[in-house]
Amino acid sequence: MTQQHEKLSAFMDGELDDSGFVDSIKNDSESLAKWRSYHVIRSGLRKEASVMPEFDITAQVAAALDQEPTVLAPKSKWKSLPVVNKVVPFLRQSGQLAVAASVAAAVILGVQQVNQQPAAEEPFTTFQTPVIPGMPQTGMAPVSLEQSNIVPNNRAGDSDALLQKRRQINALLADHEQQLKLKQAEEQSQRAAESEPNQP
Amino acid sequence: MQAFFDVKQRTARAVRLLFLTTLISAAPAVIYAQEDSQREPERITEPNLSVAEAPRQNLSGLEWLERLAQINRTSNFEVSFVLTRAGQEMTPYLWRHAVLEDGLEAEQLNLQNGPGQEMIRLGNVVSVFEPDVQPYSIYASAISGPLPSDLLYNPTALTDAYQFITIGRTRVSGRAAQQLRIVSRDNKRYNYQAWLDEETGMLLKLDMVDLQGSLLEQIQVTAVNVSEQPSPYFSRINPQALPGAVAMTPKPRQHQWEVKFLPVGMEEIKRETRRLAMTGQVVEYKLFSDGMVDVSVYVQPAQDSLDSDVVLRHSTNTFLSLTNGQVQITIIGKVPPQTAYEIAHSIGAAGE
Repeated sequence: MTQQHEKLSAFMDGELDDSGFVDSIKNDSESLAKWRSYHVIRSGLRKEASVMPEFDITAQVAAALDQEPTVLAPKSKWKSLPVVNKVVPFLRQSGQLAVAASVAAAVILGVQQVNQQPAAEEPFTTFQTPVIPGMPQTGMAPVSLEQSNIVPNNRAGDSDALLQKRRQINALLADHEQQLKLKQAEEQSQRAAESEPNQP
Repeated sequence: MQAFFDVKQRTARAVRLLFLTTLISAAPAVIYAQEDSQREPERITEPNLSVAEAPRQNLSGLEWLERLAQINRTSNFEVSFVLTRAGQEMTPYLWRHAVLEDGLEAEQLNLQNGPGQEMIRLGNVVSVFEPDVQPYSIYASAISGPLPSDLLYNPTALTDAYQFITIGRTRVSGRAAQQLRIVSRDNKRYNYQAWLDEETGMLLKLDMVDLQGSLLEQIQVTAVNVSEQPSPYFSRINPQALPGAVAMTPKPRQHQWEVKFLPVGMEEIKRETRRLAMTGQVVEYKLFSDGMVDVSVYVQPAQDSLDSDVVLRHSTNTFLSLTNGQVQITIIGKVPPQTAYEIAHSIGAAGE
């Protein structure tokens, strides 16, 4: 008997390849009870136990199932109608989409707020009336250098003059940048011409 | 007998299991070892610098900058840096330098954001590739980028205008650094603070500050890689495919005016008469430089000039325009507005 129990234990651990052993347990009610209680004990040891041995209700459940009448025509519900069935998940999904979209919008709003420049209207900083002796303070007019910036068209004459002014300032600034790029070019080309007379 | 076999079988399983677990736990270690060997070639290798042997604590400011110039001219490196200006977005750059097999110096500066701008220097020819402009090449011994070329290659040229003061050791970009101040001798220009890597001598950070000490412009290095071999990028450049260098023959012009006040160490490097590209106005032009900053002086007839005086700051440039009788005088450059004003007011008829 003890050998039988040991074999049962080994079988549960998957260490027994004797196919005839399964049949021998099936026909032995004591072994079957042992088999069940072994499983319960193992679950208990592994802290998986949801069923205590004294609460073994499998037999009662099986009996209750046997007594239950078979339902042949189940009561139809509005959810099981084909159209509703298709629309409802769609509605539910779109609701989720809306939530996701609103989250994305919030994120974009947040980023824009973080990225906002303190003074977007003013593309550059004019000096806070620097104290220069002998220089008229009123003569310093702030002029925007942004070419893409649109001048408000409330006074046609003024905006023309302003545009003209901007064009001139931009021309000078662009020329300055260009000169810096070409700064070295002249003396170096002289040297290059001296070392390579064939150079154009 | 049966029990004996059971025990034997179980022992065998246990041994197999043990072996498996050791394998699994050893596997990550093997992977890490592989990663380490892959990382190896990327490490910064200390180049054989004769200066490096000298005691670094006793180096003067100029000696530090000479060390910087030496490594900038002779080593292969790849530097990433960002340029930040007050009130503007930062712009990232990639800067590579190499000495090729035939001794030719090669340099590349690439603007990393937007459509970009690429400048390639082979020897004394700089090729410029930028959006909306036909590629062109000019003769120049250095790329004119955000870093002043005299600071990088020829610090002795700066000694007339600036003095170099060592401040001490700090940590920049995760590396031990030596801090220097670059101060103009007459307090008429913006000042600088530079941080140089103690080990390699490379530039790690450069600040431009105004006379009150507030930051105007900052260049912060984010990665430095000094290597034995030139970057493979330079082997992909086909010198034949670069645009031919345009020689700029200077046409010296005699102007009827001259600038009588200049900050200490600033010199005239160019004078000419030409038309502005955008408006077609004829201007008389002089360019002054002290190595760190350049100042342009424009003189043009007053009739097609701005109708009022203007002072403004465009990024870090000061723009000052005065109408003085019959002429309009414009000063543009990275100098304080007071200095621009002094320069503008010192302009008078030549020969007086």
